[in-house]
Amino acid sequence: MKSGLVFGLTILFSLWYLTFSATRLDRLHHRVETSWANLDSLLQRRAAIALELARSQAADPASALLLTAAAYQAREARIEERSQAESGLSGALGLLQNDLSSGVDSAEQSLLRELENLTEKVRIAIAIHVDAVNSTREVRKKWIFKVFRLAGTAPLPVTYEFEHDVL
Amino acid sequence: MPNLKKLKIGLVCPYGWDAPGGVQNHVRDLAEYLIEHGHSVSVLAPTANEEILPDYVVSAGKPIAIPYNGAVARVLFGPIAFSRVRQWIAQGEFDVLHLHEPAIPSISLLACWAAEGPMVGTFHAAAKRQKVIFAIGPILEPVIEKLSVRIAVSEASRLTLTEHLDTDAIVIPNGVYAERFRNGSAQEQWSGETIGFIGRFEEPRKGLSVLLEALPIVARFVPNVRVLVAGPGDTEEIYKDIHPQLRSRISFLGRLTEEDKADFLSSVSVYVAPNTGGESFGIILAEAMAAGAPVIASDIPAFVSLLGEGRYGSLFATEDSSDLAKKIIDLLRDDPARKRLSLAAQERSKFFDWDTVAEQIFSVYEMAMVGSATVRLASDSRSWGRLLGREGENS
Repeated sequence: MKSGLVFGLTILFSLWYLTFSATRLDRLHHRVETSWANLDSLLQRRAAIALELARSQAADPASALLLTAAAYQAREARIEERSQAESGLSGALGLLQNDLSSGVDSAEQSLLRELENLTEKVRIAIAIHVDAVNSTREVRKKWIFKVFRLAGTAPLPVTYEFEHDVL
Repeated sequence: MPNLKKLKIGLVCPYGWDAPGGVQNHVRDLAEYLIEHGHSVSVLAPTANEEILPDYVVSAGKPIAIPYNGAVARVLFGPIAFSRVRQWIAQGEFDVLHLHEPAIPSISLLACWAAEGPMVGTFHAAAKRQKVIFAIGPILEPVIEKLSVRIAVSEASRLTLTEHLDTDAIVIPNGVYAERFRNGSAQEQWSGETIGFIGRFEEPRKGLSVLLEALPIVARFVPNVRVLVAGPGDTEEIYKDIHPQLRSRISFLGRLTEEDKADFLSSVSVYVAPNTGGESFGIILAEAMAAGAPVIASDIPAFVSLLGEGRYGSLFATEDSSDLAKKIIDLLRDDPARKRLSLAAQERSKFFDWDTVAEQIFSVYEMAMVGSATVRLASDSRSWGRLLGREGENS
């Protein structure tokens, strides 16, 4: 009688724990997706600004070429190559920003200011996304998630190694 | 703030609203800043007296005093508090929920458990490695994980978080209304060769005793030196321990109003923060810097990063009163150095001006809100359905 009760409670607890874990992982995947969506949209905006800068009076033909190429690469990269492509774009933008500190008219000034604000946001967005990815990967290593296949068919999130010093 | 979109924001303060404290001040200032900029804000906090609350605060019940981290914390938990938290979340329809200190056993933790959707958590505390947190880590981890974004108020509190809970955070400093302090006017009564100190001086970790031990040495080299101590507390105990010849050099001013504080910090020759630990940001030190006071602080991690490794103020070895005496004497005798530190400190204080800080916090809110609906109660019934569905899928 007593052992039956204990058995029943154990079953109940295990079931609760399983649903709890499933919800937990589901939330983590959701966090990875939303933080990526956020980062992705910021990076797309950055690439658009880069293209606008390349087309503007501010850039000489050589840097315009470099910037356009880097921006297109960043836009079209697959997720595994994305961080490398974005670092390339950061590098190209950095070169231009150094040259542009003086003698540009107001349109370019406002583009540059927007870029600066955006860079700050991108930095935060990267930190948020990297954190989400890391905790998800960490949690998915635990046995309960493997044995019961709680992750289902969701792919393991890709780490995004944006180099901080480049930004 | 240039943002046009007005949000419904829910803030949760874990400590008793009526008790003085850094977290409460931070939540109050943030709430008032956001309201001033057109957002609608509701703060949930434990309160001892429900009659004197500002209208944006909702009471979660009377706080319970428990010893925590070397002080008495006024927190709140239990089934009644939990149901109030759930009710507040259900009725609030918030766009984003901002929880302060969600790793402390109080209503922020309860709210984090009860809600889902865009949630931001701010971690204030900085503590040395504690075994007990490793023990409760597995319980906290899945709860803390629900936060979309984590904020730490300093490198020290970020380190505490990564060490104890194995998760990272963005550093956004505590806010100071820098302008109020910048506009303080020097008062003659507090000027001259004066050393300022503000805080609850009875608490040993505020380190007033370190400063008082340094005083005899300082007085030998700077004969006219005076120490001005502001803050609430019983002065008799302190007077007893001071050498009779030095008593005339120390004045206790009691608690100062905000305006007096700005004037006080603008008047003193140097401001000393001799804290021995337990400080995660150092809000008063930041206020002193905004007022342009040359500061000397102990080299605890929070102050080292606040003072930029000594670029914006002078650092001394923690609890070493002879080193403190040396630093005070050096600075009191060197007018150009004081001027330089004062300017550097004021420049630095722009980083933690509310205009800067609130904008950073707001852009974190925007990021937390991407792709999620509004904040709602986490429902367990949905996860049951999901599990059953998934099991069917796998078999």
